Amino acid sequence: MLQGVLSRAPATDAAAAAAMKAKRAAASPGEEEEGDGRSARGKRQQLLALGPATALASAAAAEEGPETRGLRLLSLLLRCAEAVAMDQLTEARELLPEIAELASPFGSSPERVAAYFGDALCARVLSSYLGAYSPLALRPLAAAQSRRVAVAFQAYNALSPLVKFSHFTANQAILQALDGEDCLHVIDLDIMQGLQWPGLFHILASRPRKPRSLRITGLGASLDVLEATGRRLADFAASLGLPFEFHPIEGKIGHVADVAALFGSRQHQQQREDETTVVHWMHHCLYDVTGSDVSTVRLLRSLRPKLITIVEQDLGHSGDFLGRFVEALHYYSALFDALGDGAGAAEAERHAVERQLLGAEIRNIVAVGGPKRTGEVRVERWGDELRRAGFRPVSLHGSPATQARLLLGMYPWKGYTLVEEDACLKLGWKDLSLLTASAWEPADDAAASAPTTTTS
Amino acid sequence: MDTLFKLVSLQASEQQQQSASYNSRSTTSSGSRSSSHQTNASYNYYYHSTSSGGGGQYYYGQQHQHQHQQYYLEPYQQEECGNAHHLYMDEDFSSSSSSRQHFHSHGAAVQPPTSSAATPTGPTPPLSTSSTAAGAAHALFEAADLSFPPDLNLDFSSPASSSGGGAASSAAVGGGGGGRWASQLLLECARAVAARDSQRVQQLMWMLNELASPYGDVEQKLASYFLQGLFARLTASGPRTLSTLAAASDRNTSFDSTRRTALRFQELSPWSSFGHVAANGAILESFLEAAAAASEPQRFHILDLSNTFCTQWPTLLEALATRSANDTPHLSITTVVSAAPSAPTAAVQRVMREIGQRMEKFARLMGVPFSFRTVHHAGDLAELDLDALDLRDGGATTALAVNCVNSLRGVVPGGARRRDAFAASLRRLDPRVVTVVEEEADLVAFDPDESEESGDTEAAFLKVFGEGLRFFSAYMDSLEESFPKTSNERVALERGAGRAIVDLVSCPASESMERRETAVSWARRMRSAGFSPVAFSEDVADDVRSLLRRYREGWSMRDAGLDDSAAGAGVFLAWKEQPLVWASAWRP
Repeated sequence: MLQGVLSRAPATDAAAAAAMKAKRAAASPGEEEEGDGRSARGKRQQLLALGPATALASAAAAEEGPETRGLRLLSLLLRCAEAVAMDQLTEARELLPEIAELASPFGSSPERVAAYFGDALCARVLSSYLGAYSPLALRPLAAAQSRRVAVAFQAYNALSPLVKFSHFTANQAILQALDGEDCLHVIDLDIMQGLQWPGLFHILASRPRKPRSLRITGLGASLDVLEATGRRLADFAASLGLPFEFHPIEGKIGHVADVAALFGSRQHQQQREDETTVVHWMHHCLYDVTGSDVSTVRLLRSLRPKLITIVEQDLGHSGDFLGRFVEALHYYSALFDALGDGAGAAEAERHAVERQLLGAEIRNIVAVGGPKRTGEVRVERWGDELRRAGFRPVSLHGSPATQARLLLGMYPWKGYTLVEEDACLKLGWKDLSLLTASAWEPADDAAASAPTTTTS
Repeated sequence: MDTLFKLVSLQASEQQQQSASYNSRSTTSSGSRSSSHQTNASYNYYYHSTSSGGGGQYYYGQQHQHQHQQYYLEPYQQEECGNAHHLYMDEDFSSSSSSRQHFHSHGAAVQPPTSSAATPTGPTPPLSTSSTAAGAAHALFEAADLSFPPDLNLDFSSPASSSGGGAASSAAVGGGGGGRWASQLLLECARAVAARDSQRVQQLMWMLNELASPYGDVEQKLASYFLQGLFARLTASGPRTLSTLAAASDRNTSFDSTRRTALRFQELSPWSSFGHVAANGAILESFLEAAAAASEPQRFHILDLSNTFCTQWPTLLEALATRSANDTPHLSITTVVSAAPSAPTAAVQRVMREIGQRMEKFARLMGVPFSFRTVHHAGDLAELDLDALDLRDGGATTALAVNCVNSLRGVVPGGARRRDAFAASLRRLDPRVVTVVEEEADLVAFDPDESEESGDTEAAFLKVFGEGLRFFSAYMDSLEESFPKTSNERVALERGAGRAIVDLVSCPASESMERRETAVSWARRMRSAGFSPVAFSEDVADDVRSLLRRYREGWSMRDAGLDDSAAGAGVFLAWKEQPLVWASAWRP
């Protein structure tokens, strides 16, 4: 099976890379947010000119097959999104019930994805009436949501290789960067349940020379959840005989006052000299992680960690509404499709993942451009931003790529593709890139002995 | 199965190829569009400004008597080209286009406008100050929190949906218990609507919108469906919203989907079968009594005024076939399918045709001489000409039963005592028995004996909203616990409830066919029409009890006779101690 994946890879990878380039171009037209409605009309007409979707609008729905239903849903979703883009909210409202009736959170993949886009459009229309787009931030809600997201994330981890892909590649990059050092400090900007770190602990413990110190600083919205995560990780580290310290920070990285605040006590400030500091961050659009992208970049620049590992979604958050909507529909159709391929009997788990994670992300994107919901000009591609801030890419072509291939080979899923592009690794589903993993180090770091592009 | 995915791929690439051309096209005509924005920019349709006298009546409260058509169409015509989608008076905003600021501004003005809040509404505070900003332990936190109504203390812990029975869960059903944040927020929001506190309405609706989901837990669903109703009310678009919802449902309803949902509901919840078993028991006993008393062979006729798709009758046919000794008597069923005049009926006619065929086939199988007739009736039941139904097809010896399962509420409550009049018209049919099954909720907001005024005052709105919330909370809760987590049939039932909620919250009472009443009210109406209650026999009670044993814990039967409030008639089906369905039988 592994052989099959490896020999098949080059052809599909090339196609995937081409598709991704095309998609980037499609997403890029730099229109003003919520731009002129007429462009939306024109765009939609082009979108619909292709398919037979419009002709089917009045067919008796109940008797038709799933394919036709998918086409009708697509047509309705695009019409509704276009109405929202043109600020014709009454028209949009008229379409929502039909979408809800045709869609289903428990149906085929297209019906499922349409259910969540329909729900997101419904929320978006009301937001537009209210003139209020910002996300809720309530303390009691944060804890309850963290727990729900945690449960869903564990299911996601079991149902799809996406989460493991993120963990494996980042862990491999961190191990490479460690390169003989034996004091490690990981700063996880959004640690959640810390699912990623047992894997790293395991490898560290199995090396001939165990680390002298191992510390994780985890950021998150709820201190309760953070502390529970810390306890679990400490237990696991203890079972492996690893030294371990956990430092929880309730809040967002962009609100951390200065680098010193990331290191806590004075003892840790001194310790800092000996440590290899690594920053890790897995992106999503469930909620805003940074608080402020600008402050985050500033902080990372003054922190100068040995390595920054990032896993980003290949999905734009900005741009005009309709373009963003179509790109997101494309992206999440692929994700739902991929999830359906692997879910099998785990219907309840699949629903949890789709509703708690993917559905919530879709709402954020359809609202006003991503989890911050401000329409603020933000960092769209973190790689570019880090490059400007004085970091350079560290190639993931060696052992991280091998690990990722091994991972994909271990599972029965057939639609996933892995592409090595520049220094990054891209995981895709049927030619659409879903995630990009990359690693960064300070560009002027003389000590960085490893060449930036090695291919094994 | 990945149609949507493929299709989107195709179209996304097409979009990319052609994106250059639409950009150039769009710039040529932007001037005319921006001018049309300005002409309507100041329009608002929450309520009329104070200059219209009376200080802001509800839109339809003012106009629906005389301008029935116009009152909901007008805002939409205005809105077609405008961008003033605010629910509120303009003074709440610095300008009519303030919602656009949220797109264009950089970091500022993200929160809903708050004029009264003394605390500053800036971006999220820096980490170092967050602990002091939070205040009390369970208070609200972070930047956006500063715009929250400070008097709300919400509990977002997961609702205790899995634990059965007990005092704790009955408290939870009643609302106000742990984790019932939706009821709390919705009631606050309804109060703010009634008080015309538009800023608070906006804050609460924003919170509800962020929290609601039709596919989430019970609280999220309640938030979703009641928010839909409030939204329709505030935009004075209730009837239009309702007809859009009904039309969408109608287009996507087939015999199979209807049957699947009805059967699944019966299989997993006693909600509908409770009434069927009780009513069938009473009908059968009165028929057999009539047959025993008569010297010649009897014919039986059931006038079925229930929109329950005949799911009630197979068990009655079966019982009739086994209980009658020699010759099974002839049974006729006339089923009246009524719908609001505006409601689409294509799906219902499709479904009833199929049901008629199946009923006849089943009767042949059971050996019951049988005839079946469907009468489609547009409008409410009070307008049905009962005399024209020709119910005495077998002559004077025919024993007549009238079956009203969830049908009396279909008589629109009106000033002219329409419900009393309807009960009296049933009495004139001289039936052996009338069975009445109704859902227990007090959704008629005025006493028709004392007032002939419209039920659309703010006090009426608040009463119906609160009682509707109580009732549908319990209904949704019972669905949640009875159905599997991933059930399309449950979603269909919830959507049906969602339509009823839109009707109750945003449509004039004088057009509503969802106005349930309590057992006390119905019993009073039946008595004053000249009926007296028939107690269910021990056999029937046993049947009901054994029925309930087939379902999960939480359901129970309660004798209304022990409870003064029900005026001593009928029995209740209760979910977690809360009576929700009432079944009763009456004779002249």
